[in-house]
Amino acid sequence: MSSHQFNFPVLKQRAVIVQAIRDFFRRSGFWEAETPQLVPLPSMEPYLEVFETQLLDQNRQPTRAFLISSPEYAMKQMLAAGSGNIFQITKSFRNAEGVSPRHNPEFSILEWYRVGADYLQIMDDCEQLLKSIAKTIHPDQQPILEYQGEIYNLTEPWERITVSQAFKKYAQIDQKTLLTTPKLLAASKERGYQVNEQTTWEEVYNQIFLNEIEPNLGKTKPTIIYEYPVSQAALSKKKKSDPRFAERFEFYINGLELGNAFSELTDWQEQLNRLKEDQQEKARTGRTLFDIDYNFINALKSGLPECAGIAVGVDRLVMLFTDQPSIQETLAFPATHLWPELIK
Amino acid sequence: MRKGMFVLHHNEPHQVISHEFVSPGKGSAFTRVKLRNVLTSKMMDFTYKTTEQVELAEVETRELQYIYQEGNNFVFMNPRTYDQVEVSGEVMGSDHNFLKEEMICHVQFYNDQPIGIFLPKKVTLEVTEAEEAVAGDRVTAPKKQAKLETGATIAVPIFVKTGDKVVIDTSTGEYVSRNN
Repeated sequence: MSSHQFNFPVLKQRAVIVQAIRDFFRRSGFWEAETPQLVPLPSMEPYLEVFETQLLDQNRQPTRAFLISSPEYAMKQMLAAGSGNIFQITKSFRNAEGVSPRHNPEFSILEWYRVGADYLQIMDDCEQLLKSIAKTIHPDQQPILEYQGEIYNLTEPWERITVSQAFKKYAQIDQKTLLTTPKLLAASKERGYQVNEQTTWEEVYNQIFLNEIEPNLGKTKPTIIYEYPVSQAALSKKKKSDPRFAERFEFYINGLELGNAFSELTDWQEQLNRLKEDQQEKARTGRTLFDIDYNFINALKSGLPECAGIAVGVDRLVMLFTDQPSIQETLAFPATHLWPELIK
Repeated sequence: MRKGMFVLHHNEPHQVISHEFVSPGKGSAFTRVKLRNVLTSKMMDFTYKTTEQVELAEVETRELQYIYQEGNNFVFMNPRTYDQVEVSGEVMGSDHNFLKEEMICHVQFYNDQPIGIFLPKKVTLEVTEAEEAVAGDRVTAPKKQAKLETGATIAVPIFVKTGDKVVIDTSTGEYVSRNN
């Protein structure tokens, strides 16, 4: 076993960045909630696999227990009970994703929720947050990010483009084609992607997005891509003026997704329906199954205030601000060190 | 999808250089791969659906013996037919660090063009120059640099001396053991 090399300059910079994030939210009228990482029921995210363990009572009788894949359900219960604006930096866990420059099974997630706001205000928060981190690191220079030889200007306004506009601009696919399953499947086949009877709209939509759109996002400044087709936004509100789209956005730098935001769905009945569909999807794809969290549904029933929120990958942010090629370099104990066999 | 495998992408053979899992928000799983076109050496990224059937490129492997280097090319011979084949430095990559005359290697061909090479998993090479060990440096792992007969320099334990034969793992380029 080789001795472990700690990259202390990067780890210290990480601590500075995490502190800068906390300072930013305290200054902006948020308080930091603390919710559990070990829970009886995790989030029902259909395409994520969970970590399951057992909680033993004093007679060693087991109960199912899970590590969270995000603190969202707990934070929404606090919002429904009247917490006001809250944020949190916590560990989250996702299984069966392998280890890559952008993934570690345990990662740090930043979530914040703004009461009485919609996704547009979260866009502004993102601009101000990144600027504030840059200012903390380099107080006497313009808010820029230097990453792997490229310079990104963090000054607002960032580039803003809707999903429809991006499909038109980068893949020459118009909105009608995008939203019509047979048309999109045909367009996708024409572009050389594999399409067969089992191929779904969601698969070709994401495959075109990943291959032809994502690499163009966040080239010289961050890009906010917004208004997703409604099927791509399980926890978000539909856009009032066009219910085929949801009030969701993501922001990107250098083709790297950094955060995913919604105007939060407050309708408990619709939320419950979507969770049931997601549970079906988990069953269909052979993932670990568990019950719907009715504490979460009941909280929505009691009244989740109009709010918007976002989840941001802290390790990815640190990777960018410390100019490291992968998130593993930003961690004192990356999974690749703890389980060297994972690299193969 | 495995690192090193050959696949047909848009009807051209590509080698998988790396792959990673991608899950776009509320989307199903995808595999992003870095591909090297083995005909043009051009690198590209492509994202596959995890349900996709990827067509394998028909790559043939032949056992050949290395005989000598000529400029940037490495000449191999079929020990049964005495046919000679030149493998370019580009295809050879960093493997030449551990390549020694008469070594039997597996060369991969696509349409009779060499496109990849595998050295034996472990090779034994002579140390031609070993640094004096530095005493007292216990913070880092107790290793020192040694030059091999092929010209490559690797990290070895401090007890290794000039003239020793050492076993190298060619997939990692790391010292395995001493074999005098």
